[in-house]
Amino acid sequence: MSQRAAVTLVDPANPPSRKAPLVWAIGAAIPWLVLAVGQVVWFAVVDDRLAWAHVTAAAVTVVGMAVFVIVVPLWRYRVHRWDISPQAVYTRSGWLVQERRIAPISRVQTVDTYRGPLDRLFGLANVTVTTASSAGAVRIVALDSAVADRVVGQLTDIAAIGAEDAT
Amino acid sequence: MTERVWHRLSPRMLLVHPVHEVLRQIPLLVGAVVVGSATGNSWWTVAIVALTIAFGVLRWFTTTYRIETDEVQLRTGVLQRKVVSLPRNRIRSVQTDARLLHQLLGLTVLRVSTGQQVRGDTEFALDAVRVEEVPRLRSILLADSLAAADQAEAQAPGRQLARWQLSWLRYSPLSFTGLAMILAAVGVTYQAGLGAILEHSRLAESGRDAAQRFGVVASVAVFGVVVVLASVGLSVLRSLVTFGNLTLRRDAEVLHLQHGLLRKREHTFDMRRLRGGTLRQPLLVRLLGGARLDAVMTGVAGAGEASLLLPPCPVRTAESVLTDLIADVNTVSGPVRGHGPAATRRRWTRGLVFPVVVAAGLVLAAAFVAVPPWAWIAVAALALTCALLAADRVRALGHRVDDRWLVARAGSLERRRDCIAAEGIIGWTVRQTFFQRRAGVATLIAATAAGVKHYQVIDVPAELSWSIAGTASPWVADSEWARS
Repeated sequence: MSQRAAVTLVDPANPPSRKAPLVWAIGAAIPWLVLAVGQVVWFAVVDDRLAWAHVTAAAVTVVGMAVFVIVVPLWRYRVHRWDISPQAVYTRSGWLVQERRIAPISRVQTVDTYRGPLDRLFGLANVTVTTASSAGAVRIVALDSAVADRVVGQLTDIAAIGAEDAT
Repeated sequence: MTERVWHRLSPRMLLVHPVHEVLRQIPLLVGAVVVGSATGNSWWTVAIVALTIAFGVLRWFTTTYRIETDEVQLRTGVLQRKVVSLPRNRIRSVQTDARLLHQLLGLTVLRVSTGQQVRGDTEFALDAVRVEEVPRLRSILLADSLAAADQAEAQAPGRQLARWQLSWLRYSPLSFTGLAMILAAVGVTYQAGLGAILEHSRLAESGRDAAQRFGVVASVAVFGVVVVLASVGLSVLRSLVTFGNLTLRRDAEVLHLQHGLLRKREHTFDMRRLRGGTLRQPLLVRLLGGARLDAVMTGVAGAGEASLLLPPCPVRTAESVLTDLIADVNTVSGPVRGHGPAATRRRWTRGLVFPVVVAAGLVLAAAFVAVPPWAWIAVAALALTCALLAADRVRALGHRVDDRWLVARAGSLERRRDCIAAEGIIGWTVRQTFFQRRAGVATLIAATAAGVKHYQVIDVPAELSWSIAGTASPWVADSEWARS
């Protein structure tokens, strides 16, 4: 087999916005807080017997909150990286399951930005670079708005040069 | 060739449409008959039938199509008018499909596919045109693809790649289609409320008598044998009817697939959109030395009937056809490179976790209650099966890569060998779960615009993953992040 010399890819260079962990934490905290309020209502208004059930539920909520509001956002911030060269987009993402994804810019079809309510509040934006394959979309999440705008401009400029069918 | 006029479909559809309309409105017609007999006025029935038939006839008058330089248009609908327009340069394949009634009248349905998922309404289907007209329409619709092919065809007539043989039927008893059909039939029977009638019928009575006479075990055994035989029979029959007289022909850059005894289907594939092929070997088919072949194409759905090139057939036939299509013997049947000890270990742990958990549960249960001896035998059998599957999965796992093709082989119950053209790969993902990171392996995913869009190389050694990607796609090896 004509395998080339072993190649490895170093990680992409740029981290997401410094505000990313905070936004992720708030996003994760909202459903957990709803759950916690529900439990308080259950305890205070509906029924305060079954002490063991209340204690178990409270413990699950506290542990879940600690994991998803503190650990996961910090973990994701350590993992998430992105980079763009004139030829390719390259990202690293995830926490428990980690992915590194690279796509050639000559095959890029669309570049979208998405700003959720929380993103807008904190001035963040997510950039999605799609290719002709539904499995090949590259997402750069939680960028500062200014950085995202620059990335989109850069990508559309480069992508406009290649005028192939992109399949 | 351009035609500015609106065409109608074949006038013979004036016969077909009313029949189809009547079949479609059966519930309404049953209602009409009931009302007619209840009110003693059979004019109700006659009126509704006449209306239905008139509606069918109107369909022919309201359906027109036209083929222009840059697009094709289809206008349909009696009450709701609808226009479907397709740009001609988006046409990826043309299929024909003729049910029994169509065939008797020498008609066929012609479908144009653009590769996008279309749901019923927005599909461009000419239902129906004369069979003799199909070659002309096809060459007009696929003008781009066929222009080159026509020249080549003048020099060399199309080559036949494969032809269905009676011996291929030996792979079909081993599929579950027959069983699925039986279950579906039982479901429909009960849905229609016929179950209750059956329970009191003489058939059921005699069944119960027999059960009492011969004992429950014997009756269940007989019932099981009957179901298995029926399902085998149905599977074989379905396979014969669907794939009988299948031929796969290649005219230079166009691939023609024709199959079906009662319902004739013909697919035309543009070879320039071929990005590889998948050899699939379900366990039971593999044991008999069989395989099926799917095309990996842009603009053709990756799974199911749309991409099928060959139904279960001898593995040598499938391999030789794929070799002919992609012109690379080693990619199709060459040896693959295994994924090493970590991947092997992961196959074994995964395979044996389930039986070990069951056995542990049984041991725990044995401490409190008496466990019948057959339970231990069952667990042992389960463990053995899982071990065999794990060993087979280890044997299957492998990949092969050069600068033109990526090959990934995996699986036991459903073994597949994906052969993907390197130039068709438009993105790479290296995914590692927590356990994969600890084991030092990764799943490499090649994204393409063709077939099922993503093809996985499971549990390759992590340090190899980017080398594989870099070998197939020079833009990865040449990127500024690459270090050798």
